[in-house]
Amino acid sequence: MSRREWTGLSADRTLRSLAVAATVVTAGVLLLVLYFPVGLVFAEAFGGSRPLDSFASTLTDPFYTGVLAELFARPFAVGVHLDNVGSWFAGVSVGPGGVDTPPLSKGLFGFTAYQAVLSTLASVAIGLPGAYVLANYEFRGRRTLRSLTIVPFVLPGIMVASGFYAAFGQAGLLNDVLALVGVGPQRLIETNPLFVVILAHAFYNAPLVARVATAAWESVDYRAVETARSLGATRRRAFRDVVLPQLTPAIATGALLTFLFTFLTFPIVLAIGGLELATVEVWVYYQLTEVLAFEEAATLAVLETAISLGVTYAYLRYESAQRAANPGEGPPREPLFGRASDAAGSWLARSRVVGALDARRLAIAGYTLVVVVLFVGPLGAMVLEGLTDGSGLTLRHYEFLLQRQASGASFQTKPLPAIRNSLVFGVATVAVALPMGLVVSVASTGEGRWRSLLETATMLPFAVSGIVFGIGLLRGLVFGISLPGGWRFVITGGVAIVAAHAVAAYPFVVRNVAPQLAGVDPRLVESARSLGASRVRAFLDVELRLAATGLVAGAAFAFAISIGEFDSTVILASDVAGDTVTYTMPVAVERYLGRRFGPAMAMGTVLLVVTAVSFVVVDRLGGRVERG
Amino acid sequence: MRRRAFLSGAGSAGALALAGCLTQGGGGGEPSGTLTVATYESFVDSPSSSPGGWIKQNFEAEYDDVTVEYVTPENGVTNYVQRKQQGAPVEADVYVGLNVDDLVTIDATLGDDTRLFRELDRDFVSNAEHLRPELEFGDPKSRVLPYDTGYISLVYDEEAVDEPATFDDLTSPAYEGTLLAQNAQSADSGQAFLLWTINEFGADGYLDYWRDLQANDVRILGSWWDAYSAYLESERPMVVSYSTDQVFANEDDLPMSRHRIGFLEDQGYANPEGMAVVEDSGNVDLATDFLNFMLRGETQAEIAVQNVQFPAVTDDQVDLDDSFAQYAHRPPEAVSFGYEELEGNLSGWVDEWARTIASN
Repeated sequence: MSRREWTGLSADRTLRSLAVAATVVTAGVLLLVLYFPVGLVFAEAFGGSRPLDSFASTLTDPFYTGVLAELFARPFAVGVHLDNVGSWFAGVSVGPGGVDTPPLSKGLFGFTAYQAVLSTLASVAIGLPGAYVLANYEFRGRRTLRSLTIVPFVLPGIMVASGFYAAFGQAGLLNDVLALVGVGPQRLIETNPLFVVILAHAFYNAPLVARVATAAWESVDYRAVETARSLGATRRRAFRDVVLPQLTPAIATGALLTFLFTFLTFPIVLAIGGLELATVEVWVYYQLTEVLAFEEAATLAVLETAISLGVTYAYLRYESAQRAANPGEGPPREPLFGRASDAAGSWLARSRVVGALDARRLAIAGYTLVVVVLFVGPLGAMVLEGLTDGSGLTLRHYEFLLQRQASGASFQTKPLPAIRNSLVFGVATVAVALPMGLVVSVASTGEGRWRSLLETATMLPFAVSGIVFGIGLLRGLVFGISLPGGWRFVITGGVAIVAAHAVAAYPFVVRNVAPQLAGVDPRLVESARSLGASRVRAFLDVELRLAATGLVAGAAFAFAISIGEFDSTVILASDVAGDTVTYTMPVAVERYLGRRFGPAMAMGTVLLVVTAVSFVVVDRLGGRVERG
Repeated sequence: MRRRAFLSGAGSAGALALAGCLTQGGGGGEPSGTLTVATYESFVDSPSSSPGGWIKQNFEAEYDDVTVEYVTPENGVTNYVQRKQQGAPVEADVYVGLNVDDLVTIDATLGDDTRLFRELDRDFVSNAEHLRPELEFGDPKSRVLPYDTGYISLVYDEEAVDEPATFDDLTSPAYEGTLLAQNAQSADSGQAFLLWTINEFGADGYLDYWRDLQANDVRILGSWWDAYSAYLESERPMVVSYSTDQVFANEDDLPMSRHRIGFLEDQGYANPEGMAVVEDSGNVDLATDFLNFMLRGETQAEIAVQNVQFPAVTDDQVDLDDSFAQYAHRPPEAVSFGYEELEGNLSGWVDEWARTIASN
């Protein structure tokens, strides 16, 4: 055996043991920090005298399931149900005012799904044009703007709610601006709270849709468009037949994530919409943390998760039916502010081209206005809150941060440790979530229905209520596991927080990496193998390289999840007296919320700036990795 | 992964409790060690002012070898209730920040056999004799001592609405779309306001009243802060809040006309905060001394000012400065439900109310 072959073998062996170690760690983390805590809470749902009692009583309660309660109560009374449907249709009347339908009670679950669907539609409608602009036009700051699309995602709900009041409230920024152009005050939140709640959900999720869709758009195979055009297809036709099919999987991913997040929405709804717009999660929170009614809360939470997983499964069936296209270079980006077209021939043709282009640019200008109002408005309002008090502009809230840092007591929350912890946990989360996501992606490759089922299971963290996850961690890890001899196995502090963040983040890695892995041509792997590469080596050299963009995108999301995570962080960060502090920036924002906005919003601005800078840096680094 | 192991088990916990019983009030030797005080976040870490620092400093000054350590369990006392349920240790000596409804929830969840807090012998808390009787929790097991109270009232903008005088005013056309309240499921102020309406209209009538309020477009937001911040943003001219509101308005130079206090029916709903000694505490003597220290006139004045609540002891015991007296208003009549009235009723009342409001 030559020396070279021998070192190759030993490197292979190291690689293989690394792969085994990553798999074991992944399985361990998932068991200990996901399945065990969540299972602990979910098990409460089956604790009645008969295990399914609580489900029967929830499903047949019209408060929860609306008109469907009757159906669940007597599933086989088909005649009765048909009668009900008939009489509902009989009540529909068409008049001059439009179609008038009899009221249909949605129930708590129905309403929750309803607002989630509306929020999803709004997020896609607002996010998609953004992806179009980012992928098709070149302008100063494009890359920075693309990096910043992740920022809203990390903001605590309480900040966003305050920002929305300050921007769209009666005495808000929008009305100040409208007054300048002579338009009277709008009472948006008062007259249509649901609309504003949906806007707030879009504030969080439209950038997410834009981010995912931009990435897809930038790697559309445009040679096919050119081919189609040369074969006589119109621009529109080429877009519909070539570009759109390559975008829809990404759009669907964005839509799915938005639905899952808004289906489990909680603080935003109560802060802006109020109890009349309550979602299931509001009831889960109340029963789990206020009255300790575990059976009822767990029943609702299990149903929430079942619905979320059902939707995820449907999506994954759809995704696996899509043929993965070969990644291309994306569309050529034309300058947004450049001259339209000097090459056009006659004056008439030029004016038509210029006119068309101007119409498009006009639409982009209109869209920009919407984006400015929806995103810059609340963000600007948040920053302003940190810079003002009763008597005008002030720096006293930042002075408070400095003073708290300098002379705060040991039991008080300080800004610098919060910033440090957020960044350290963020980096550590990426380091744990990437291998986890990779292991899970590889484990769930395969064919057909089974693969979809497995992949659905990996999405569990997105389908579980954050409150359930938090309480599960509290009861499972913080309280500890009883061991023989009066010992308890307790896990809290930094390591637990990173593990919890990694569990919340790895599905993002999977969603970005798995489709790319599935799209790798098996012949490439086979030829690498036939040239003597071990399976692990072939994986690293062929598949991983092709999935690099997915890994980078997943890493950015993992970092964002870690920075923004609140529910489990706050539970794992408290309860540690006298130890190294483990609170993060969002926790500090919440703790600085006293009887006025200022200090919390000053800290929130720090969160905003630190996050924005991190993402510009992360994306630049990621871009370098992607280019190799 | 960091592992922290605790020696616990029924045997050792029982021994500690027994030791506690034997030494209570024994008076031998100077107490020493760490006194762990569990409380809520803003009692020690509020951005404006918190009494925690002063209390720690002054209590430690009196006991040379004692260190006061604060812990702020997430989800408050229900964290400890769950620990008890699961057989996990409760690592605190004193709990500061209990409401009457907490006590009801504790007993409903843990039953009679599992004790989170111990029965107090008031002979060892001499300052308890100065407590205002109307703030007592009515706890049949005598575990809790109140240390301060807030009164729920309305805060309104006098330039936008007239002073609301009665509950019926709030359902009249003049007050349509003016009130911000809070979810009684999760906000103390919201629950107190709900209980106030039950006190006024009875358990049979309160839901009808709330239907009228809803018809008059009341807006029920999540937390006290959700509603109060909407009020600060001028979203509506009236909010359910506390009668100490002007203290903050004064500190922040906000116009007093926007911070008027409205006592409906000349009442305010008292929401006293209480403290108790943890059953498993290994430091019962010191913990009991701490409760006594908390009820001392000097401490009571400090808590009132820094926590912006009213003292739990009678006026002759506390020397409050004039600005507090000027801006913190006590209702002509304080109403509240005690333990017995809430026991067995509270969660049903709140639940039916929430279902009435949220029915889609």
